[in-house]
Amino acid sequence: MTAPIPFTVIGGFLGAGKTTLLNRLLRGAEGRRFAVLVNDFGALDIDGRLVAAHGGDTVALANGCLCCTIGDSLVTTLLGLLERPDRFDHIVVEASGVADPGRVADLAVLEPRLSRDGVIVVVDAAEVRARAADRRVGDTIQRQLKAADLLLLNKTDLANDLPALQVWLGTQSDAPVLEARHADVPLDLLFGLDRHGATAASPSSDTFASWSYTWPEPVDRDVLLAMLREAPGEVLRAKGIVRFADAPDRRSVVHLVGRRLEVGDEGPWGDTAESRLVILGLKPVLGSLQRE
Amino acid sequence: MTTTVYSARRIVTMNPNRPFATHVAVRDGRILGAGSLEELKGWGEVEFDTRFADKVILPGFVEGHSHAFEGGVWKFPYVGYFDRTTPEGKAAPGLKSIDEVVAALQAHEKTLPKGASLLAWGFDPIYFGGRRMVVADVDRISTERPVVIIHSNFHVANANTAVLAKAGITRTTNVHGIVKDASGEPTGELQEMAAKYMAYRAAGVEIAAVLSDEQAVWRFARVAQLAGVTTATDLHNELPDSTVEGYLKASASDDFPIRLLPAFAATAIPPAEGVTRLQALVKKNNDKLRFQLVKIVTDGSIQGLSARMRWPGYYDGTPNGVWNVGPDDLDRILLAYHREGFQVHIHTNGDEASEVGIEAVERALAAAPRWDHRHTLQHAQMADAGQFRRMKALGMCANLFANHIFYWGDIHRAKTLGPERAERMDACATALATGVPFAIHCDAPVTPIGPLFTAWCAVNRLTASGRTLGEAEKIPVADALRAITLGAAYTLKLDEELGSIDVGKRADFAILDDDPLSVPPEKLKDVGVWGTVLGGKVFEAPKA
Repeated sequence: MTAPIPFTVIGGFLGAGKTTLLNRLLRGAEGRRFAVLVNDFGALDIDGRLVAAHGGDTVALANGCLCCTIGDSLVTTLLGLLERPDRFDHIVVEASGVADPGRVADLAVLEPRLSRDGVIVVVDAAEVRARAADRRVGDTIQRQLKAADLLLLNKTDLANDLPALQVWLGTQSDAPVLEARHADVPLDLLFGLDRHGATAASPSSDTFASWSYTWPEPVDRDVLLAMLREAPGEVLRAKGIVRFADAPDRRSVVHLVGRRLEVGDEGPWGDTAESRLVILGLKPVLGSLQRE
Repeated sequence: MTTTVYSARRIVTMNPNRPFATHVAVRDGRILGAGSLEELKGWGEVEFDTRFADKVILPGFVEGHSHAFEGGVWKFPYVGYFDRTTPEGKAAPGLKSIDEVVAALQAHEKTLPKGASLLAWGFDPIYFGGRRMVVADVDRISTERPVVIIHSNFHVANANTAVLAKAGITRTTNVHGIVKDASGEPTGELQEMAAKYMAYRAAGVEIAAVLSDEQAVWRFARVAQLAGVTTATDLHNELPDSTVEGYLKASASDDFPIRLLPAFAATAIPPAEGVTRLQALVKKNNDKLRFQLVKIVTDGSIQGLSARMRWPGYYDGTPNGVWNVGPDDLDRILLAYHREGFQVHIHTNGDEASEVGIEAVERALAAAPRWDHRHTLQHAQMADAGQFRRMKALGMCANLFANHIFYWGDIHRAKTLGPERAERMDACATALATGVPFAIHCDAPVTPIGPLFTAWCAVNRLTASGRTLGEAEKIPVADALRAITLGAAYTLKLDEELGSIDVGKRADFAILDDDPLSVPPEKLKDVGVWGTVLGGKVFEAPKA
């Protein structure tokens, strides 16, 4: 069986910046084939010169990515996508502005061909508090924030009082917060590492970086998982292929998105030399992790 | 040019100038007149047809909220609690216990080819004294092939071990909608997204097309015709090309027994494209197929605990439901179709959804004033008097889900709404009093298509347990009959063409064994349907 395809859900209310983020993703895919399921690809900013094929509900891009319109049923659109002969490296779904993105991500748990990667909720820094207090949509917004593995706090340039907003977000959600303008964030922070494990080129910028660990000997499960669970808020993602001391003949996959930590099993350990874990996060904290 | 005059025991016309008649003359598929034989002879030479001489003729029934999906699901065995009629006119008896359901499906299983999935529909465990179906029950049908039993609400399903194993569902699976027992093991009951996903996985994704193909719409038309329906909506369809093609082919046949009105699912594609698509579809209309309606679904269902409710919310404290299309999107989508002159049907179950629907129409009218739009709230089950007054002021219609009173009234009273709001749900009397044009409906396949039963619900307001739910919202039989004919036609903008027996209208009749105005009101649902006449063509229902 081929490895399951990582499945990411982008949630957030109308106007938060989901489409802007998806445009960045499609432009910055760099060799990875994303299938992106959106509510309206007319809203995407797809350069006509990059369109390889247009098939009604789908647009195939020259860089190997595919956009599909969700239409009336995400379930049938997703199943249709999985039946296609082409393989994708990552599937990203744009949840509707009123959907609970956590429920959408459940699909990846039900579908063996998918692995749940993360729920990213895009938040409009200028609007979110008013929306969350709205009589009719407030509870919807609150459910979205609660469902997030990572919050992308967008339009921070438009926020009145950013520190107060950060405090308030902390009361709504346990997810780490990544600040952005125009949804401009390093894509690897959101869409992670190569699906085959921690082998991708490490991304870096002024504000974030990656740190890679290797262990030649089997690793103590409790120690590693505790380290990840207790990692500071600036740690946004981690992925590793690990040989645990209590299961030395198994290839365990450790996966952290925001505060959601999962350990899976990918079969026998085989002849891989060492355990390897890559952490992505904001810079100052990685400095302290390095010291540990 | 043949003119046929039908005699009848009584003709109930819905035309107040001449409410009753003994004869009706039909020429070229249209009504030439209704009155006495002497009067109709004035039109010239006529042929007599006396086969309805002991029958009662009403305008053909108009079902304003049903789904052709009803015809789709009859491809699979029905395992519901209540008796139902198959498209072939055979009785599908209700199954009164989980063992009966299992036994019926064990027999069906033996007829299936190796490897095929088994799907069934209509299951309703709420009448089994609290006992739920579990995976061990479903495994008695088969442990090898995938088995999915879909509940009557189409939001819940039971699955067997084969289905759960294939999806890797175990006690550690943490997904909303996977029901677990006290010990933490999945019971095989799946809800909402989980149910839908498993049903599609078991059946194959092509099932969506099968459920809406040419054969499906034929089966739907037959089920409707057996109930005296001559015009029915398919009130939410993405209308992919394959479906449109099937509908065009079916409706082109002389033997196709109904007029079909599909409503375009407005969320299928962005409104700008949707408007263009619908405008193109309208050009394909024929006598029996009308593209003209748009449907927007705002909230979920009351019994599914997903309706959007105003304060104080669910009686049992369940958190508020979910938006499918939220207030902002509703404004945007509604306005796009409103501007282009389309009539929009807005699904609103909870009263917050109704409020949002009303206000969206109000804003659309302010942005683009329009007369006689007849935008209609579909279900509007919790709408109160104030909301009806607003609907009236805005020129809106309502289509009320009267069948809910029987099928879920007891649950609404005890759990979801509480006695006070349950007693005023599906408020037909309030609609009458406030002057909101209204219809009543079945939402088939959620409940069986049967306008006389629906009228019976609005008249008697009896629940399945026999309780009267809301004396004050009962309506007289005559008003209920209007709601399933001319009233429903009005909500579809077809009232000038059909819905009453009047000169120039389509010769669409329901032929009944008895007079619904003369039988005791509590017997209204038991009035037999002999068949229908559609555009002058007689369709006799097979005898069960």
